[in-house]
Amino acid sequence: MILSLVFFTFSFVFYFLSALLYIGHWVFKKKWIGQFATAMSFVALMSTTMILIARAGESGHAPFSNLFESMVLFIWATNAGYLLMEFKHKIKAIGAVVMTIETLAMLAASMLPYRFKSVEPLNPALQSKWHWMQDLLTPFGLEKYAIGWLDFHVFATFIGYAGFAISFGLSILYLVKYMTESKGGKSFMDVLPESKVIDELSYRAIAWGFPFLGVGIVSGAVWANYAWGTYWSWDPKETWSLITWFIYAAYLHARVTRGWKGKRAAYLSIAGFLAVLFLYWGVSFILPGLHAYA
Amino acid sequence: MSGKAWYSVAVSKIWLFFNSLKLTLGVLLTLAIVSILGTVVEQNKTAGEYISAYGEGWTNFIMAASLNDLFHSWWFIALLGALSLNIIVCTFERFPPKWKSLLNHKPDNFDSKIIDRFTTKQTFSLDQSASAVRERVFKAFRKKRFAIIEVPSSNGEHHFYAWKGRIGRLGSDATHISLLLILLGAIVGSFAGYKGFDAVFVGTEMSVKNEDFKLRLDKFWIDYYDTGQIRQYNSVLTVVEDGRDVLTKQIWVNEPLYYKGVRFYQSSYGNAWNRLAEAQLQVKNTKSGLVGEPFKISWKTDKPEPIPGTKYSARLIGYSADFAYDERSNTVFSKSAEANNPAVNLEIYDGEKVISAPWVFLNYPGIFPAIPGADEDLLFVGYRGIMYSGLSINKDPGTNIVWAGTIVMGIGFILAFFVYYRRIWIVVKETGNSSEVRIGGMINKNQFAFDKDMKDVTDLIKSE
Repeated sequence: MILSLVFFTFSFVFYFLSALLYIGHWVFKKKWIGQFATAMSFVALMSTTMILIARAGESGHAPFSNLFESMVLFIWATNAGYLLMEFKHKIKAIGAVVMTIETLAMLAASMLPYRFKSVEPLNPALQSKWHWMQDLLTPFGLEKYAIGWLDFHVFATFIGYAGFAISFGLSILYLVKYMTESKGGKSFMDVLPESKVIDELSYRAIAWGFPFLGVGIVSGAVWANYAWGTYWSWDPKETWSLITWFIYAAYLHARVTRGWKGKRAAYLSIAGFLAVLFLYWGVSFILPGLHAYA
Repeated sequence: MSGKAWYSVAVSKIWLFFNSLKLTLGVLLTLAIVSILGTVVEQNKTAGEYISAYGEGWTNFIMAASLNDLFHSWWFIALLGALSLNIIVCTFERFPPKWKSLLNHKPDNFDSKIIDRFTTKQTFSLDQSASAVRERVFKAFRKKRFAIIEVPSSNGEHHFYAWKGRIGRLGSDATHISLLLILLGAIVGSFAGYKGFDAVFVGTEMSVKNEDFKLRLDKFWIDYYDTGQIRQYNSVLTVVEDGRDVLTKQIWVNEPLYYKGVRFYQSSYGNAWNRLAEAQLQVKNTKSGLVGEPFKISWKTDKPEPIPGTKYSARLIGYSADFAYDERSNTVFSKSAEANNPAVNLEIYDGEKVISAPWVFLNYPGIFPAIPGADEDLLFVGYRGIMYSGLSINKDPGTNIVWAGTIVMGIGFILAFFVYYRRIWIVVKETGNSSEVRIGGMINKNQFAFDKDMKDVTDLIKSE
């Protein structure tokens, strides 16, 4: 467990620094600070990748089996998604919000009780592997690292969560920016792109998150069908994932066909992410059910 | 009633009701909110449990509103039904014209004024003739993998229309149809499928309800990690059909056996409560108090086995792990699957004749004499149990429809979220030595991608 914790500690520092750098870039409007911030979040991404790899090495299976590991995956996916967006759209100002979310997520993960962190062998229900992948990896002696529906399910779901988290950050920025724009005059928010652009970016993030959450739900159903003989059992986690999916489905329909943009879309996106938070943490800690492990 | 029968008015009103996006939004958000209730109120508990958690008044309400089984209540099903009707009507309204325009794609009324209406547009001039510009336009759009046609015009201008990602328009329909398929699969499953549970003992066969094959458990074992934690439960099952072994498979949690539409899942295990592999007995002389060497007797042998040192022989015909006796029906049963009070039922033979069939207890030696009138008594001192494997049995013909639905959903997602439908109108007008190019268009989603397209295309036209 040592190596992954070392990387975890380093990542924590890297995320904190990149949040600071993005904020510095925002405040001082210096280009070099922005470049440094991007570089630092890339370093943080690499370091997060190393946490996952080290975890896999220590536990002897794909690192998606408890709350701590899933938090690291969430942080990883959010960072990767953010960097892709920054690279594609050349907009740095929102990094301050995303990296702050990342730092908070790291903090939350580090404060998890030990039983959610420890490296555990997989219990019988969590052992689902694709045979073709095991066959592929057997010649190299790596068959225990083969993944299956369960890992695919977790991975897809967390890409979805990451998209929603980014959209959530953007929606908050949108609301702040919109307020300052309607007031007029110079403001601290001028460094942000136009509110219209933030709104569109927030929508793009959901347009990534929604299908991935859908695929995550479906692959979870496939696994459940193998493990328990039923693809849907209205377990609280399943139900909440569906609730979240419904909210974002409403968002997409309202936006695409009824032109719900701007403020209303931002509020829906925030509501959606609150549902994600409950789906992810609330259900695990408050409601009983099959997903008790993560 | 302007000449229309009341029912056709009613039908068209209902149709209109379901052809509404407001309904979609309303139903989606309602489903989201009531589903929350279904996670807060624990499902399928007994009335007593609700009363102790919520009190009697709330329990009455929970029962009346079916909140105890919310996801199968009539009103939840009705909401799903409304959503399905909504999807069906919307698909009927929107899909046919879309399909038609996909097959026969033409710009709807090319009016050069249309360009002014778009938010994404550009106007620029090139020092070239219209026909030269025409070449550039074609080349630029083809390079960006747009389809492009020239639309005849009557006023001397050149009109072009370009498009890309038409197929993306089908994404929403595919996604909607996939949801209907998944619901259909769930309906088929709830009517034509069944779920069951059965325990099969090692070495025995089990018949499967409604099916003409049997299942034999050859072996059951548990794998452990080095730390002692359970790694996996395994059963080797053989399908027996017409007395022949047709299929043998090792199953474990996550790896069911599938045969003729029925799936068998590893679900539990335990020691049999009503049978043994063998029992260990001793003969005790009640006069002298001497106890003989232990001997074994196997389960339900064809012939009685001799009891050493006596003229008697015995068969092992019953076992109860947690012995209990029901006086009314005069039967023996096991109170639990735990070996709290193990007892064996023996048939004692004197020659060919059965002289008694006593129960002999492990924990209470000698409370009932096993052989009436003899000096010898039998002591039950040990046993070797039989494991059973608990199998969940599931037949759900709807599952395959659900999987088909998920594949359609995947295709729908790709089309809907990652293929964008872009349309661009181009007007080229020759003015003396130069040509004026006006270009504008729209995308169904992802404005960023479109801005980039427009920039790339205009750069290409200007630079070629």
